[in-house]
Amino acid sequence: MSNLGNAPTRRTTSAHLIQSGYRRFLGDYGQEIFVLAAIVALFVCVTLVNPRFIAVNNLNTILSGNAYIAVAAIGMAMVIITGNIDVSVGALIGVLATVAGTLATSGYPVWVAWTVPILVGLSINTVIGLLVAYARIPSIVVTLGALSILRGGLISVTGGAWISNLPPSFLLAQQKLLGVPVPLVAMIILTLLAAFWMRNSAFGRSLYALGGNPEAAVASGIPAERRIVQVFAIHGMFAGLAAVLFATQLQVIQSTVPPNLELTIITAAVIGGVSILGGTGTVIGSTLATILFATIGSALIFVNVSAYWLRAVIGLLILITVLADMLRRRRRSV
Amino acid sequence: MRKYLLPTLLALSFSTNLSHAASPWTGGDDLPTNPLACDATPAKVEAKAYDGGTPTNAPDRKGKPISVVDVPKLVGIGYFAATAKGISDAATELGNVKAKTDGPSKANIDDQITLIDNYITSGVDGILYAANDPVAIAPVLKKALAAGINVVGYDANSTPDSRQWFVNQAEFNGIAKATIDALAAETGEEGKFAIVTSTFTTPNQARWIAEMAAYQAKCHPKMEWLETVEAQEDNILSFNQANTLINKYGDDLKGIVGMTSVATPAAADAVTQAGKCGQVAVVGLATPNAMKPYVGAGCVKSVVLWNPVDLGYAAMHVLRSVADGTLQPGATSVKAGKLGDLKVINGSEILLGAPTVFTKDTINNFDF
Amino acid sequence: MIPKSLIRHETFLAVLLVVILAVLSFQSDKFLTVSNLLNQGRLMTEIGLVALAMTFVIATGGIDLSVGSILGLTAILLGVFWQKLGMPLPLAMTAAVAAGTFAGFVNGLIITRFNVPPLIATLGTLALYRGLAEGISQARSVRGYPEWFFILGQGAVLGIPTQLWLLLVAAVMAAVILAYTTWGRSTYAIGANETGARFSGLAVEKTKLAVYTASGLAAALAAVIFVSRVSTTRSDMGTGIELDAITAVVLGGTSIFGGRGTIVGTILGLCVIQALKNGLSLAGVTGDGTIMLIGVVLILAILASNLFEKSGSR
Repeated sequence: MSNLGNAPTRRTTSAHLIQSGYRRFLGDYGQEIFVLAAIVALFVCVTLVNPRFIAVNNLNTILSGNAYIAVAAIGMAMVIITGNIDVSVGALIGVLATVAGTLATSGYPVWVAWTVPILVGLSINTVIGLLVAYARIPSIVVTLGALSILRGGLISVTGGAWISNLPPSFLLAQQKLLGVPVPLVAMIILTLLAAFWMRNSAFGRSLYALGGNPEAAVASGIPAERRIVQVFAIHGMFAGLAAVLFATQLQVIQSTVPPNLELTIITAAVIGGVSILGGTGTVIGSTLATILFATIGSALIFVNVSAYWLRAVIGLLILITVLADMLRRRRRSV
Repeated sequence: MRKYLLPTLLALSFSTNLSHAASPWTGGDDLPTNPLACDATPAKVEAKAYDGGTPTNAPDRKGKPISVVDVPKLVGIGYFAATAKGISDAATELGNVKAKTDGPSKANIDDQITLIDNYITSGVDGILYAANDPVAIAPVLKKALAAGINVVGYDANSTPDSRQWFVNQAEFNGIAKATIDALAAETGEEGKFAIVTSTFTTPNQARWIAEMAAYQAKCHPKMEWLETVEAQEDNILSFNQANTLINKYGDDLKGIVGMTSVATPAAADAVTQAGKCGQVAVVGLATPNAMKPYVGAGCVKSVVLWNPVDLGYAAMHVLRSVADGTLQPGATSVKAGKLGDLKVINGSEILLGAPTVFTKDTINNFDF
Repeated sequence: MIPKSLIRHETFLAVLLVVILAVLSFQSDKFLTVSNLLNQGRLMTEIGLVALAMTFVIATGGIDLSVGSILGLTAILLGVFWQKLGMPLPLAMTAAVAAGTFAGFVNGLIITRFNVPPLIATLGTLALYRGLAEGISQARSVRGYPEWFFILGQGAVLGIPTQLWLLLVAAVMAAVILAYTTWGRSTYAIGANETGARFSGLAVEKTKLAVYTASGLAAALAAVIFVSRVSTTRSDMGTGIELDAITAVVLGGTSIFGGRGTIVGTILGLCVIQALKNGLSLAGVTGDGTIMLIGVVLILAILASNLFEKSGSR
């Protein structure tokens, strides 16, 4: 404000621009930076208590072991950005993992067992998307119904049998690409690709528009129904990818629905900055949030928090993260 | 808010270290324990009076066809698919029983109680069950008894007066002894070990952990329990938890005990993928199918369990005998088809036998 | 929120209920008996109470995912207050219900004071309250209650299950409040257009706070009834009840976006689901089949209702 009376010098202008750009970056990516800072802080604290926390094998456990959640959260983040939600993703992953395992033990080539679940996930979620977009049934209703159908169906068909003669070549998640475990590679590449695409493509930007202001989006020519079907279909593909990672991590697969998986995925997406009101957030945030939760889970064991209080501590940390984010947003807008 | 994470974590880490001192192992319950002798001396069996419940005005079912429903803890997991198979095998063998398995899709007391209630209304003759909670299931089972239905439990007991008989797969202290002895044989008498369980609220697991603590203190006092982690019924979570244990303790960890068919294979896989087969022993309760790759590779030497198919089979025969009136309170043994005579213990429990230990040579003979 | 379209959905639901009752009574003669229906009323009280409160919450455009955890926490606290702290049981019951109500109040605070969207806030408290239940109980159960305590959950008054009286009273109260009081009608306004409601002078913050507190109260009452019905406490009580309640509420015609919904609809939705669960089981369908069918009925019912609305109101 003190510049008002004077002609701004070049130096002042560029310094001002750099400063405001910096602040805008912080504002745009505030939640992601916050989550990243929390991860770093956590690592520092716990390593002081037990240096083994930062050893390569533990990093691998935290990052690769939870990569499938991050991959599923990418698709979920996209769905939430458009203002919808999917509570059936956990059941879907259970079903797709069983499909993958069954194909692998029935003599099909390994690449078939890896790609069919992705296609099945795409198909099932396309149906869900059609019901949401064209039949105008709220997504929470459709996915509540889908959850029941998938869970009951899986029990009916398999009875929960163990699949245990998996061919070693099938175990994708245990393999390495250039020395880096496949799940970690998948998580990083998929996150970066999706983030880039969301930010720079018309499709991606239309998702934000749909979530932020649906009427304006439709008025500006975005085909809302088609987009919603497409975003659910893409989400189904990511669920399929996550299911493949999930199914290939161990040498046995239990054909059941992993409990509470959908809650974990949704929490990762929303804590990562994806606003449940739709319209904001990035998939980088959801991946970082998944890593944060995995780190917290591991950290609490390393610092000997009583196992009975584990879940309470995690819940408290979720709330603290959320409140902190809200305060940060408030401070920004003032 | 970053500022709050550091002090919170430090405060928590200091405050909870105190809780380690005097408590028994995390995950065990606080009921009295009864560890067996350290050698192979069998337990003293004291005769106990019959303490089961009685149906009110049960119709005479001797020789007549009956309809039976089996309500396990939950459906959709391999273990109860196996017990269901045993039950249906026995029903086919007996010829005059129509048996159906129907259970909740989650190990939830409310769903199980509602299911049993529905079957009481529909007028079944007999109920077989594996309880999610011994006390919570008692009111609805007593209602069944009051309706003249025969009630027999297996795998997970309820309060004695809410059922007529309970088929026990193995005594809790027997399981504890088998597991800890197997663990000590592999880790040595000074080994340090950790436990991976599914949930702390499952009564059977809490009993096993408590009995294991008592037996270890008595017969392998130099071994050290490190901690217990909980991993729900999630394979990958159990895998990650087991890995975290391996990472946290490094070479200090000599053994992992898995308490369920979900935890044990995950722990075995964690040890395999960490390249520590042979350095970290994995012992636990699990179904053979879940463990075949690990036992085959030599990473896991032995898997402790009983035969759930036999368990279901025995339960069905017991129910038929009860319905026919051939098994009366005060009996000391009961004939269970091809399993022969089973002993009555603790007043109203029927013992299936000693735990089975599956090894490399035997594991491929089973398919459950 | 014009009554015409609402009545249409509730009528549709009532017809659906009658059809279901008729079909299922043909499958089993034990279904449509007085004792069975009363028993079903007993079994559906806990979820019924939660669903009644959830109607208000969803009508304001919010959601409460933490009701199951509040139920578990209240149950555990009931045991702890009675056994560990030695309170006389009636006092322990009141204190536990107060604690559960307070948990709902905290939800409301986080949502109104900190502006956290309800989905996220209650996701967080879902984890926190369940964790508190586990930690406080140390995975132990409390049992051994005196006989009179079981009258609430297992007994009957004038031939009708005790808790069913409670549900009926609560339903009537909720219906009256929602439809006829200013406060009740303001929940619709908040759900339809919160900013507009605020500028119209409605006490938006207070109403939202009250709604979430009521949700906590309902869950806490359900907890006490549940403990009385099963005679023990467990920290995992109530897991999944939030999804069941939401299913009943949306089936009953309450819009998830807020601004619409009736208690009658919720009660009908509850009855449809309970009738399906019970009738299908009596007809010989196993649990997994029942779950699938309920999922299908949910989607088809909303689909059909949407079609009706489209064809009718234009």
